[in-house]
Amino acid sequence: MYSKRIHVAWFGIHFFLLTAVCLAGVFWLIAEGSTILPSAWDEYAGKGELGATWCLAKEAGPSNPVRRGIATYLHAAGIQAGYTFFAPNVPSQHRLTLELLYEDGRAEYESPHVRGKTAALRLESLLDRLSEERYEPVREVLVKMLAFSVWREHPGVKKVRATFGAVNPPGMNEFEQGKTETFQPMFSFDFSLRDDQKQ
Amino acid sequence: MQSVVKSPGSQISVGLSPLRKFWQRFIGFLFPLETDTWLAVLRSGLGLQVIVYALFLRSDWYYLFASSGKGLVGREVGEAITAFDSPLIPTFGWLVALGRNLNMSEEAVLTVAWVALLSAGCLLLLGLFCRPAAIVAWFVHLCAAESGGLLAYGADAFMTTALFYLMLSPLPDRYSFDRWVTKAKPKNPQLLGFWRRVLQVHLCFVYFIGGLAKCLGNGWWDGSNLWRSLIRPPFTVVPPDVLVRFKYALPVLGISICLLEVSYPIFIWFKKTRFVWLVCILAMHAAIGLTMGLYLFALIMIIMNLAAFGVPCASRRAQATSGTTEQ
Repeated sequence: MYSKRIHVAWFGIHFFLLTAVCLAGVFWLIAEGSTILPSAWDEYAGKGELGATWCLAKEAGPSNPVRRGIATYLHAAGIQAGYTFFAPNVPSQHRLTLELLYEDGRAEYESPHVRGKTAALRLESLLDRLSEERYEPVREVLVKMLAFSVWREHPGVKKVRATFGAVNPPGMNEFEQGKTETFQPMFSFDFSLRDDQKQ
Repeated sequence: MQSVVKSPGSQISVGLSPLRKFWQRFIGFLFPLETDTWLAVLRSGLGLQVIVYALFLRSDWYYLFASSGKGLVGREVGEAITAFDSPLIPTFGWLVALGRNLNMSEEAVLTVAWVALLSAGCLLLLGLFCRPAAIVAWFVHLCAAESGGLLAYGADAFMTTALFYLMLSPLPDRYSFDRWVTKAKPKNPQLLGFWRRVLQVHLCFVYFIGGLAKCLGNGWWDGSNLWRSLIRPPFTVVPPDVLVRFKYALPVLGISICLLEVSYPIFIWFKKTRFVWLVCILAMHAAIGLTMGLYLFALIMIIMNLAAFGVPCASRRAQATSGTTEQ
């Protein structure tokens, strides 16, 4: 009976946390105004999201032991993010184009790449995250890393211009009319290699 | 029939009765008698999943998880984001630091981690050293998912969850080599039932939330989201000019997916509708795998569904054959 009570308590805590994570995700989507719900709901959804994240102790300081404990458990159980994949709508694809500028004025165009298809899927996932506002603080660092991964294969390159943007695919009717995808630049960075990094 | 007596004590007992009944029903729901067939499906399925995961990432393993300047983006950024959530979450950084003390290079540590993951997958598939293999698989996969946090996608979260449940479940099952070698006694059927319930309830959360969020997007009602997801690189398996021929079917499919997911927590529990819902969900995941190339995602969802609802509920059989001991 003692073991049963422990199991029931764990069940309650586990699914309470999962509920909070899932609700925070759904409320966030509504608060962002990206759903078909009336905009009057956005404010309430924002409050709902705050309530859900409060349950996860995310409002506490970063070094708060309860917050850290809950975060560790959520990651260990793989329930740190809700299940709102491809919802409410399928996001645009994103592309990072690297313009490699050589000393002789030559320019080549490349994109970061990996070998396997599974890893390619992960790279796409990374590029999609770059467009999100919450990753803004690490955006430049990540683009620099991606540019550097290509740079290593082209040692003669003097400068790299990285352009990041959204690729908007044509709709079904547009596709039938012969329209193709359009590229909407979002930001760009220029990188030049210092002499000490060249070695 | 209960009679109401006007003494304070009996009034309390009459008031508590429905609560106690509810509690007993809840306990009955959480701890049904169950055989370990579902656990064998989960264990061997996850073994296969871990093997496929390791083999798919074989050529890019070091490139994805190496430190800055050696790999794609360097695992430090992902690990820093993870450490901001909590420094107690395991990452490859831990293993690399440990390896440094043993004079092992980063590449050697990452190779050992990959071999450990593949071996754990093989052991799980065979049912040898089930518990240690489940713990190793969960730990190494968690390190990979957290170190490459920005590179992770849905399949990683589901793999972590499934391995987490497997690690805590009453292993080994009767189809494993462990049981055959050690001649261990069958596990408590109520405990087996509890862990199956956990998996079942979790899947209900997954589909209900996923379905609800999709219902809130206009693109799932007119088929445009299906179109966008199927022509979106790198998921493009079906050419757009083939897909456009089925443009009138896409809205129907989109709405069907929303309804199927959002109603999963209801219809998967009824005996009469369970088979239909399970087949539809499995078909949906198989289609996602084949048409979008999301093989790992499709496989993990199929395994979890088969373990949770695919194996017939064995309550009566277990009740008849068990020498149940309450723990």
